[in-house]
Amino acid sequence: MQYELRYQVIEPKRQTYQNVIDRLGDQPASRYLEGTLDVEPRENFHYRPTWIQDRELYDPRYTALQLTDAYSFLDPRQYYYTPYVTNRAAAHDEFGKTLAYLEKRELLAKMPAQWRDLVASVVVPLRHFESGAQLITVNGARFAYGTSLEQCCTYAAFDRIGNAQMLSRVGIALANGTADVLTGAKSDWLEAAHLQPLRRLVEEIMIVDDWAEAVLAVDAVDQLLYPKLYAGLDEAALLGGAGAYSLVSQHFTSWFADQRKWLDALTNAWQSDPEHADANTAVLQQIEQTWGARAQEAVDTIDAAINARIGDQS
Amino acid sequence: MSVPTTRRQVGIDLQESEENRPLIEAIRQDNPELTIRHLPGLVKLQSAGQIVINRETVEEHLGREWDTGEFQLAIVSYAGNFSEWDDDQIIVKWEH
Repeated sequence: MQYELRYQVIEPKRQTYQNVIDRLGDQPASRYLEGTLDVEPRENFHYRPTWIQDRELYDPRYTALQLTDAYSFLDPRQYYYTPYVTNRAAAHDEFGKTLAYLEKRELLAKMPAQWRDLVASVVVPLRHFESGAQLITVNGARFAYGTSLEQCCTYAAFDRIGNAQMLSRVGIALANGTADVLTGAKSDWLEAAHLQPLRRLVEEIMIVDDWAEAVLAVDAVDQLLYPKLYAGLDEAALLGGAGAYSLVSQHFTSWFADQRKWLDALTNAWQSDPEHADANTAVLQQIEQTWGARAQEAVDTIDAAINARIGDQS
Repeated sequence: MSVPTTRRQVGIDLQESEENRPLIEAIRQDNPELTIRHLPGLVKLQSAGQIVINRETVEEHLGREWDTGEFQLAIVSYAGNFSEWDDDQIIVKWEH
């Protein structure tokens, strides 16, 4: 007797979900596309928001920056829940390892006095800045139009909590497991002269109505602050006996590189939009002018505080 | 020996999975003459002469950094020689 082994292909009735088929045709698509394209409701809203009568619950007019098709922007990192969580879990694991190493050898506490002062009174207080940026970004997550955009804001907002947490852990390690540095950092954030321009700026950004303007204003600060504070002090830290700071700062530098990916792609999408490109470019320029100058002012004050502690870095 | 008049086919068989779909899409983009056959659990890619895989294209489709070494995880079988396998590019072709 003889068996003949044959396989039979059963063609699936459809390769993917309707939201993807509508745009890309019936072909297998990535999880990211399946969970992103046209997911946010667009019609049949029963109620208008009572607090802004001429808008829908989800409405593109919450910002001056418009996209003809909200999904012409897609996250270049293709983050949906699982890849985002996996990626960030790994990043914080890495950070945890760095910190465990530093704690075991008390490297943070053993840094030269001026570097300890710098971390305690300039770097750690920025956890409150991160917290402000979180509020602003989560506002973007609510009012952005289109899942692809809203998704990026949601994750960026969570990232801010993560960054604040990393800074807090550095503060706790610096104070040998006590909350002393954190308490001092809070009062520095509220009172120290070198942080007031930044605090004022963040609080003013919080009440900007246009969600995109607010997110970009925070980004204007980030673009100056992150390179200056983290990548910029790396060499000085290594040469100044504060290698611990360099080990910590690398994690913020790599987060910022990741943050840039979606923001650059988004700015690009706004500027190359088939219908709204010109209007968007004008708005972007105006945002850059308004907030860029303010950000520069706030970061300059911090820069002066850095130079006062560890000598001129420029 | 006579000079072959047609270029011989090279081929790569990849596992069909969610992970490999962007990779296949990238190979399709870089090799316009590619023929793709779907078998259960397997995707057979064939092209005359050579198949090129560029790291940059794969990363674009994948949305993350990709090491050419990761190609090992996707491949089931192949026909041809790996004439190049460096950090940026993999080329499969017959070299004689």
